[in-house]
Amino acid sequence: MVNEKGQVAIFVIVAVIIVAILLVILLYPRLPLSRQGVEVQPISYLRSCIEPDLRANIAELANTGGYENPEGYLEYNGDKIKYFCYTAEYYKTCVVQQPLIKEHFEEEISRIIKVNLDNCMQNLKKEYEKRGYDVSFGNANNKVSINPGNVLVSFLTPMTIKKDSSTKSFDGFDVEFRSEMYDLLLTSVSIVDYEATYGDSETTLYMKYNPELKVDKIKLNEGSKIYRLTNTVTNENFTFASRSLVWPPGYGL
Amino acid sequence: MRTLLSLQGALYGLRDMDCNMKIKIKNVNLSALMFVMILGLIIFNSGSASAAVNATVCCEKTTSGLYCQNVPSQECSAGARQVPTACESTSFCKPGVCYNSGQGTCLDNTPEIVCNANNGVWSATSPAQCDLGCCILGDQAAFVTLTRCKYLSSNLGLQTNYNRGIKDELQCVLQVQNQDKGACVFDFEFQRTCKFTTREQCGFGLNGTKKGEFFKDKLCSAPELGTNCGKTKKTACLPGKDEIYFVDTCGNPANIYDAGKANDEEYWTNVKTKDESCNPTLGNANSKNCGNCNYLQGSICRAASDTNPTYGDYVCEDLNCKKTADGNSYKHGESWCIYNDAGESGVGNNAVGSRFYKHICINGEEVLEQCDDFRQQECIQDSIQTSVGKFSQAACRVNRWRDCTAQTEQLDCENTDRRDCLWKPGVSIGNSSGGACVPKNTPGLKFWEGEETKAICAQGNAQCLVTFKKGLFGGETCKSGCDCLTPDWEKQRIDVCNSLGDCGPKINWVGDKGYKEGFSKTVG
Repeated sequence: MVNEKGQVAIFVIVAVIIVAILLVILLYPRLPLSRQGVEVQPISYLRSCIEPDLRANIAELANTGGYENPEGYLEYNGDKIKYFCYTAEYYKTCVVQQPLIKEHFEEEISRIIKVNLDNCMQNLKKEYEKRGYDVSFGNANNKVSINPGNVLVSFLTPMTIKKDSSTKSFDGFDVEFRSEMYDLLLTSVSIVDYEATYGDSETTLYMKYNPELKVDKIKLNEGSKIYRLTNTVTNENFTFASRSLVWPPGYGL
Repeated sequence: MRTLLSLQGALYGLRDMDCNMKIKIKNVNLSALMFVMILGLIIFNSGSASAAVNATVCCEKTTSGLYCQNVPSQECSAGARQVPTACESTSFCKPGVCYNSGQGTCLDNTPEIVCNANNGVWSATSPAQCDLGCCILGDQAAFVTLTRCKYLSSNLGLQTNYNRGIKDELQCVLQVQNQDKGACVFDFEFQRTCKFTTREQCGFGLNGTKKGEFFKDKLCSAPELGTNCGKTKKTACLPGKDEIYFVDTCGNPANIYDAGKANDEEYWTNVKTKDESCNPTLGNANSKNCGNCNYLQGSICRAASDTNPTYGDYVCEDLNCKKTADGNSYKHGESWCIYNDAGESGVGNNAVGSRFYKHICINGEEVLEQCDDFRQQECIQDSIQTSVGKFSQAACRVNRWRDCTAQTEQLDCENTDRRDCLWKPGVSIGNSSGGACVPKNTPGLKFWEGEETKAICAQGNAQCLVTFKKGLFGGETCKSGCDCLTPDWEKQRIDVCNSLGDCGPKINWVGDKGYKEGFSKTVG
């Protein structure tokens, strides 16, 4: 009697394990391929395809305040750095030129990497087709979200893969990259708020509060300031300009 | 800028910075027997130079792409709205608060047009959504808006715990300092497991499970709890914490890393405070065996690079700065003033193009921050006594020199609450008697353009009447104003001239003299 119960228990455990394995295979978004025993996993394929371009574009855009072709900028060492807060007058605090800094940066990145994302999707399609799959896409679209600790690229492109009688559909793919850009952008919002309210910001406080943050404030002779925020661990940086509460040389007459 | 100034100083030969001294000689005959003394006729050109000012308008968008600026009409972009009034008074450029509903952040002084174009929510006054309250995030706290609290909580996988009643940041931080912490034991996938957290979070339930059983001041690795969490030799840095912590097999933080206690049963059972851990009074920078880092003493948990710890991959990194530009060592977060250009500071004779600098020690690196150019800011410095010694703090502050020369009394001149001026006894400017009030740190001037420098420097002009008496048999003797003939008088006038700004015979920030004398003296 005891042996029978033990056997039943073993069968149940084995069944649970089999079901779990099947669920993992079915639900995990990867497609094992038969030919040559090589697998193509959409997420890791897309990650390796877009990462170099994404990181390069983020770094380049971050040098100019998140604008590819900014209006209202300061030219410094060949870079056109966007003014996030500006006043043309003396003795006055600045007027905010760029609120929602993070959201704008996301839109700009999303727009710039779109061409490359489309290419990556096409290449992914070709990879599958080489292995005898029939692949169809919906409208290609993407979204970039900058979050604490990561940058998330969402491929909002429905995809269906068929082979023989089996079909697999995807609504899209989310590819995540480790990044501390979020903290840099939110710190920029706080600095802009100080600039607009008090005319200047105390960078030492930010650096003491966040041990991984370095803030360089470069003051130029006509009153403009360039803020360069750097994460000392990841070496990511973000740069923007401001002109606020400027005291003229002499009496400014 | 520094190069520019020195070059311009050289090119222009400091020509607009001259002060003029005029000595008038008067010969009086015997019969007059009267000498008229006129001293110190100083010409004031008090900056009433009638600069032609272009009428400004509030421009919606300038030709350079900037929004809502008060600029001359011709700088306004074609098609952009413009009104001949200040932007504060217009409907389209009125500044207000821009609310970011996604992140829960608010920005002041944002024009409506700019806010709306960026999908923000604009209001003329601060909306209720911008009110701050206390957001509890596990054992951390943030003084933020409700929306921001929800965002941060969801990112950390925590329930939103927000208290509007707390109205200042200090009270908010204190809220989390007295929270009970300990082992939260619960069943997950047929296993008795544990998470080290606060009593409150344990009560909410973890990972979607029902609420756990809380054991105050116990570690998850405590044998008596009978969980699947045990000792390891692994260490980790924790968000918001300075120290290195051991981690158990479930990934929970245990006590502060102490290599000598890696196998100590008791050390893996009960929570130990910072003071009960290794070397609590030291910073333990680069220690192989102790992870009791102290941010105030300049050390913090970081991935090991130069030092190999006995266990784990982290050490207390040294954040202090050794041998900085001024030869001293500073602690992380300290700041100090540097004025190392040619010439002097604080005595009313700064070199042309010189500038104040604030230096900051951050993460073992010396960061430099310029104070405003043209010495519109000066650097001030003080230190406070802390438990670990002196802590230096510096700041760039506005140089309040503008009304110095208008002061006629020494008391007003030296009122440091109001201005940064220096009293020079025995000389005069304008109506002052018995002394002149001049800037302590002389302002820089754009002497290469405009007429303003001439006007400012002209305050140092002086005219002196010297009277001579002719003798009966020839010869003459000086009767009044004789001081004006001495080198001391000339030196005094040069001194006053130098004190007014980039005026007179000066050197530039590298120590080079101007090509001209910087002053002129006429006798006649």
